[in-house]
Amino acid sequence: MSRHWSWKPLALVVALVMIAAACGGGDDGDDATTTTEAASGGGDATTTTAAASGGDETTTTAAAEPSGEPIRVGGTLALSGFLAATGAIHQAVGEVFVERLNAQGGLLGRPVEWVLLDDESVPENAAAAYERLITEDEVDLVIGPYGTGNITAAMAVAERYGYVFPHHTASLTYAYTYACQFSSWSTGLHPNITNPNLVYDAIESSGNTPETIAFVTNEFPGNMFIAYGQDGTDEGGAVTEAEKRGYEVVLDITFPTTTTDWAPIAAQVADADADFVYLGGLGVDAPNLITAMQAIGYTPPGMFVQWPAPGPVLATDGSDGVMSVTIFEEHPPFTDDPEAVEVAAAIDAALEEAGVPYARVETQAAASWTAWEYLQIAAEGAGSLDQQEMCDYLIENGADTLFHGRIEFYPEEQNYYIDLSKVKQVQDGEWYVVYPPEFAAPDRSVIYPNP
Amino acid sequence: MSSRLRVVLGFAVAAVVLFFLPTLQESLDLPRFYVIFLFTVFFWISQASSWNVLTGYSGYFSFGQGAWYGIGVYAVAVLSGKHGWSFIAAVPIGGLIALGAGLLVGLVVFRLRRLTGEIFALTTLAIAFVLAAVARITTAIDGGTGIFMTGTPIPEFLGDFTTAMYRMTLTIMLLTVLAAYLIQDSRLGWGLFAIRDDEPVAGGLGVPVFRSKMIALGVNAFFAGLMGGVWSLQLGFVTIDDVFNIRVPLFVILMTVLGGIGHWMGPVVGAVIIYTLSDRLNSAGLTDVNQVIIGALLVVLALAVKEGVYLRMRARWVTTIVTFAVVMGALTVFDVNESLISDFAMTMVVVVVVLLVPARVWRFGRNGDDGDGPPVGMDAMTEAGGS
Amino acid sequence: MDLIVQGVVTGILIGGLYALMSLGISLSWGALKIINLAQFSFILLSAYLVYQLTVSFEVDPLLTLVVVLPVFFAAGALMQMFFHWAKVDEFKSLIVTFGFFIILQSVMQTIWSADFRQIGTTLNEYQQGSFVIAGIALPYPSLMAFGAAVVIAISMSAVLTRTYFGKAVRAVAQDPEMARAYGVDPSRVAVMLSGFSSAFSALAGLFIAVGQSIFPGLAVTWFGVVFSVVILGGLGNAMGALTAGVIVGVAAGTASVVWGPLAAPLVTFIILIAALLFRPEGLLTRRSVA
Repeated sequence: MSRHWSWKPLALVVALVMIAAACGGGDDGDDATTTTEAASGGGDATTTTAAASGGDETTTTAAAEPSGEPIRVGGTLALSGFLAATGAIHQAVGEVFVERLNAQGGLLGRPVEWVLLDDESVPENAAAAYERLITEDEVDLVIGPYGTGNITAAMAVAERYGYVFPHHTASLTYAYTYACQFSSWSTGLHPNITNPNLVYDAIESSGNTPETIAFVTNEFPGNMFIAYGQDGTDEGGAVTEAEKRGYEVVLDITFPTTTTDWAPIAAQVADADADFVYLGGLGVDAPNLITAMQAIGYTPPGMFVQWPAPGPVLATDGSDGVMSVTIFEEHPPFTDDPEAVEVAAAIDAALEEAGVPYARVETQAAASWTAWEYLQIAAEGAGSLDQQEMCDYLIENGADTLFHGRIEFYPEEQNYYIDLSKVKQVQDGEWYVVYPPEFAAPDRSVIYPNP
Repeated sequence: MSSRLRVVLGFAVAAVVLFFLPTLQESLDLPRFYVIFLFTVFFWISQASSWNVLTGYSGYFSFGQGAWYGIGVYAVAVLSGKHGWSFIAAVPIGGLIALGAGLLVGLVVFRLRRLTGEIFALTTLAIAFVLAAVARITTAIDGGTGIFMTGTPIPEFLGDFTTAMYRMTLTIMLLTVLAAYLIQDSRLGWGLFAIRDDEPVAGGLGVPVFRSKMIALGVNAFFAGLMGGVWSLQLGFVTIDDVFNIRVPLFVILMTVLGGIGHWMGPVVGAVIIYTLSDRLNSAGLTDVNQVIIGALLVVLALAVKEGVYLRMRARWVTTIVTFAVVMGALTVFDVNESLISDFAMTMVVVVVVLLVPARVWRFGRNGDDGDGPPVGMDAMTEAGGS
Repeated sequence: MDLIVQGVVTGILIGGLYALMSLGISLSWGALKIINLAQFSFILLSAYLVYQLTVSFEVDPLLTLVVVLPVFFAAGALMQMFFHWAKVDEFKSLIVTFGFFIILQSVMQTIWSADFRQIGTTLNEYQQGSFVIAGIALPYPSLMAFGAAVVIAISMSAVLTRTYFGKAVRAVAQDPEMARAYGVDPSRVAVMLSGFSSAFSALAGLFIAVGQSIFPGLAVTWFGVVFSVVILGGLGNAMGALTAGVIVGVAAGTASVVWGPLAAPLVTFIILIAALLFRPEGLLTRRSVA
């Protein structure tokens, strides 16, 4: 009995926290301008982000030009959970975009507000959140989340209510058939064909052609798609494209996403002793594999990684020469455009402040920015927020974007365009675009095999 | 009026009311989101209730809810999503496959007398892991590529997507909770509680131990799989990592422990409270805190509110109803929150706090119970799983 | 380099790491009847602390042990005192420690973000180095982990059988009240044991920080492997944990090399299930605690 008394204080504390939280929920439902720390220091933005990062700073609208009812853009991001590392990048980029947009007069003369929720990297949460944003909060526009699963779930909701749905980096292109979805990751509809061929062209541009090739693929749906094509079709992927070029496939293994022991995988790769290693992986698969291979004294003559987290690769010994794909990097000729330079600098600053270790604009940040541009271009082009008009406008007119350049939306290609990817390579401890030559960094080209 | 009749009538009323809620939502011009919110709550009520039938009633602690749920999801995803079978046909098949798997596991595991307590718990966890691993390898099932459910058509009579999900989850939820109630209030239920208290003694008293456990496990697996199959639509894109993870197993434990483990109403109350709080915390952007709160809740409640919130509520039902009416009424009338759900969340918190303070030991059997019920709550679980 | 031999060797070494990771849970469960899921968070938290100390003070990661080990010993001791105060038994321990696990995960994510953290090869020379004997490479991080595991396993066996403390532990594990009657204070023994368990977890965390990139989601990936080792090795049995760790490491590693990496988790979990079904008391039961 006395034991019960000693628990009451604890239970009370918990209960009080719960009340506080529910109050927070109540306020937020009420008042759309709950503010949080703007990731870019100094806030001109009327940014409403319900972000989990601590620190509450009340920012007020200082931009004199936009006026009237705010245009509310709803969306979620993976701010916690499995995908949170990249979610943070998208959050920073979005905040910079909205801030600049408002500083330049807003959208259609009105200030823009981003209502951002956390989907915790869980697709059902994303779906529920978009339903809430659309039907309860009644946002004017939506923008997509991060992560293929979340994007798919959210897209279904957007389709149900007829909202234009710009999104970034969803890898399973074939599945997106909604007429008003717009991907800002310009890989074209068939990245399983175009991406590997780009890579092989790049390798061969060095003057040397690999005779044997080893494939190590993460069992992550996007990677599987690039490596093997869509399940149930004949199209094939990286492996078949290599065979078409006459490369001999000496190893073809897949590993679980949750692999803890890389030594056996490294041993197999070393044993296969291929002229080139194609790692269909993401996140820290590359550093893990490189580390394990270094530990057994093996360095492949050449290696490609599909979607690595860029920072950790650079920090890993033995990563020189590793290649990957990208849309944008912070060096000429990409930085020939002064506006791109300026925006990239603003994004870099925001990333740094958000604590992102590799604070540079590359594929993720570029795609994120471009998705926001779609919304802006659509609204301004259509002259209204009518979803169908915006959708039609985009399809008819395409978009001139800052980081991707010109993009068009081919309805017969499910609104995809061509593959705008480029190949980058780690040289002297940094990432440089090396192919195609017209996009290569000054004095840089593909180095293969590794010296 | 006998208590059983009262409960069944209550079910009927609830079913009718809930069935017409979406229509009410439309005519009152309330946000559609409320419907989605509700059917997600139905999902969790069903999962937690089915889990409670095995773990709460029989004392065999299962970490394996994810296994049955996952089987249901993947069965429908493969049959409907991959091979184009009719969704309405695939869902019960998914439930049956999960049932079959559960019975198979039970056959092996319940025959081995030493598999009780934590060993049983770990076995169920291992089964979930194995299923995930198998699904990863087998291209016929998943093979890593994931399965899209976005193109799967739903029969028209169910209505549009949201209404269809609502109706399906509502039906399954009602069936699950009804099953949980009927079992609790039956010979089978008493047998299970006896097993939980002391399995050898129960056997000695004539309880068909093996058969009872099999039925409990079967009920658990069947409803978990059935609801999982329907849920595949909400997921949209079914992948191993999104389905076979710690979320479902964790939440059903949390919800049931909070609400009252071992009583059929426990998971209902627990699911409503936990999901509402979680949803509101999310929409307030407090997701980091959300996790910490859930963890803290788990700790505190497992130790402090042993019999579960539901029994507390029932023991002090007057207080509960009055508090609820007053707070909810005030919040809605004065339009404190924009969302009814937020109003509800705040009301619930107040009610729970009121129930916690002051502390008294409420002896089961007082204050309007239907007489002797089974011992419920965390203390009853202490000797879990028999010898 | 013979692929299979290399696979077996690295399997043995990583088995040592698995054993270290499992020791904490195995000991608590066997001797204290607490299934401590928070140990998973301790392993990861220790890895983060090692990472942070190494990077902030630019010291050799191994030196951080001086700080990390005592900190976790204390944490373990405190946790056990809490359990005693709250009268937590076996069943509740699952739920309560699960709660701690969730809280700690969230805290770690808030402090270090969900991004990947790696000490980096400038400060951490061990990550990619290896000992090469007869063409077979023994990577440093897992080699060190294996060495530590062997030393600890042997010492624990000796302590349990030959010292007063060891006998006290075994007495408490079998019957706390009887132990008390013979002058042993069960709660003091429990607190010490919990401290040691957490220290072992912290040690495992060190080798993980030195061997790979860490991120919050890492902890959940260990559940399967650790439970396999714990059950197979027998609750409270340090030598058993070592043996089981090696078996799991070799089996998974060999499976990966022979049938492809996808087979590895399947093998691990089949071992777990087989252990649960056929030998839940573990392989080497004679030298265990309980």
